[in-house]
Amino acid sequence: MKHEALLWVLVLVPAVTGALSLLLRSARTILGVMCAGVGISLALGWYVAGKVLMSGPVSAGGEWLYLDALSAYNLGVMLLNYGLSSAYASVYFGVELREGRLTLHQARLFAGLWCGAMAAMTLVFISNNLGIMWVGIEATTLLTGFLICVHVTGESLEAMWKYILICSVGVAFAFMGTLLVGASAHGLGLSAPEVLLWTKLQAHAGSLNPICLKAAFIFLLVGYGTKAGLAPMHHWLPDAHSQAPAPVSAIFSGITLNTALYCVMRYVPIVEAGTGNTGWGLRLLTGFGLISILVAAVFVLLQHDLKRLLAYSSVEHIGIIALGVGLGGLGTFAALFHTLNHSLCKTLAFFGAGRLGQIFGTHDMRKLAGAIRVAPVWGMGLFGSLLALIGVAPFAVFMSELQILKAALDGRAILALVLFLFGAGVVFMGILGHAIPLAWGKTTSTVQPARAGILETLLVVVPLMFLLVLGIWMPEPLQTALNAAADVIHHVNPVLAGSSGGVMP
Amino acid sequence: MMTDLILVLVVLTNLKLLGSSRLGSSIRVVAAQGVMLGLLPILVHVHELSLHFAALAAGTVALKGVVFPWLLFRALREAEVTREVEPYVGYITSILIGLAALATSFWLGGRLPVSTGEPASLLVPSALFSIFVGLFLIVARKRAVNQVLGFLVMENGIYTFGVGVVAELPFLVELGVLLDAFVAVFVMGIAIYHINREFDHIEVNRLDQLKG
Repeated sequence: MKHEALLWVLVLVPAVTGALSLLLRSARTILGVMCAGVGISLALGWYVAGKVLMSGPVSAGGEWLYLDALSAYNLGVMLLNYGLSSAYASVYFGVELREGRLTLHQARLFAGLWCGAMAAMTLVFISNNLGIMWVGIEATTLLTGFLICVHVTGESLEAMWKYILICSVGVAFAFMGTLLVGASAHGLGLSAPEVLLWTKLQAHAGSLNPICLKAAFIFLLVGYGTKAGLAPMHHWLPDAHSQAPAPVSAIFSGITLNTALYCVMRYVPIVEAGTGNTGWGLRLLTGFGLISILVAAVFVLLQHDLKRLLAYSSVEHIGIIALGVGLGGLGTFAALFHTLNHSLCKTLAFFGAGRLGQIFGTHDMRKLAGAIRVAPVWGMGLFGSLLALIGVAPFAVFMSELQILKAALDGRAILALVLFLFGAGVVFMGILGHAIPLAWGKTTSTVQPARAGILETLLVVVPLMFLLVLGIWMPEPLQTALNAAADVIHHVNPVLAGSSGGVMP
Repeated sequence: MMTDLILVLVVLTNLKLLGSSRLGSSIRVVAAQGVMLGLLPILVHVHELSLHFAALAAGTVALKGVVFPWLLFRALREAEVTREVEPYVGYITSILIGLAALATSFWLGGRLPVSTGEPASLLVPSALFSIFVGLFLIVARKRAVNQVLGFLVMENGIYTFGVGVVAELPFLVELGVLLDAFVAVFVMGIAIYHINREFDHIEVNRLDQLKG
């Protein structure tokens, strides 16, 4: 009973925090309240997620709210990154406050939307009703739109317009897909409140109309894929990521992309069972994944702006996650693990990019040369995270990519294997070629060396240690969580799963 | 019968949008389309009329017929530039493309195995046609207001599909969807206002600083 009530509280806490921050009169207090609210959510969310992972799914509100291993895991990752990003936001905007570049109005706008977006994303994870899940994603899009132009400039407005328009169209496609899923359940005798419940659809997956379901999945994949930044629907992504303030870029890359991809993952078991376990949906996912990896590989080579480089790297990593899920078996496990690794890594990279940008006054990598000498902590943090991002051992990203390679070998998907290796190789060279001069090159500007406080040092050290430890040793609880979450995705798919698949409680 | 009439009118309004050269009249056409579609749930479920459908119809008519046009006219007034549509693709070509899209919609609509229940076999084709036209208006017109209109037409298509095919949709979901559409247009309206202030115009083709 208690945990059921907590599901409601999880959405309420950030929503109330957001509303509260609109009333406060000092920018510093607003940032403090925001961090406190996010902290409370983090503690509560991890507690509930832990309970779910240990003792099975929890549902509330007449089954409209539901948390199982897959959503609990994703919720946990989301909250971890939100916590880190909020702490970073207080540092980042603290600097802007000292320099007088952040007005009270902007601070309110930022905190209100930031917490609102968190509530919307929490709703995505805990809703069992696929329609409400869609409402959460659309709300996230609209709330985060204005976060891009906290500082109104021509470029940030352009990025916001592209983001809102392209993502709204994409998300409308996803709604069409949701409707088609509802239409495919026609004749099963589900009542109105039940027809879009994931648990109900999952239970009846075998008797859904397969043609409707296939049409639905195409719409869903294109729709949610747009929001997730899968190529070729990624055009909004580099602009939005590069123009948004760094904390916002961090949650874009580290959280919202995953959230949209999570929605696709939700549909995978239903579509697979509904189309007779032929792997049709998985092949589509694999295809989109590979296209994203290759497109990102080409564009990474052309970038001079650090944040755009990181944005294209996100396209690559989202592609890798889609590829992992598409390969099935160990790939699903690895894809979920990669979700955690990529978010941690990318948020840290954007933290570094943001602070260096403030210190140097530019994001042009040619002008950021020698960053480690000017700002040792953030320079090292950025360099470390870039190394981790391209898959240098022994960081955790290397481990999850290795597992996806193994999954491709297991499934005899040789073409996928070759294309993945090629794309990842190009990105490796491309980013390394930028990273070394960026970190160690000759300083071209006359910027004063900057010291970092304790909080800033912690924000660099903690994620890096996390990534390093996870690359060497995986704790038992995390492994259990990943297995349970992977079981939700492919338990109805024994053909491609390799193993006999798990049993959903 | 009435359902068919409305759907034919929706198809015709879509064609009108493709050939329309004035932003003001486009906004009115989309508003009229929204009002007609708002009445659709009542007509489709005329035998099982309930408070649920009445409330949905009232909400849709109020939003699409009154609030959206008001927001868009305001955005247009703030912009105070020419009220031409300024297309990338000419009007005649647009209508020809529209006719091709209409044929495709009928072909696709016949192949999709969704049970519409009612004899209104126009439902799925006209829904798909609206989606096509909406997408086309978004990519083929320069003005930001016109892109919002394209988004609304597309939304109308999806709405038609929802009403006709998935009548069992829970009320709360429909409410959420309506609310999201409202906020989307609201947000886009504010965005247009900001863009206009920054660039002194609302032509999307000048939004081209970010490349690569």
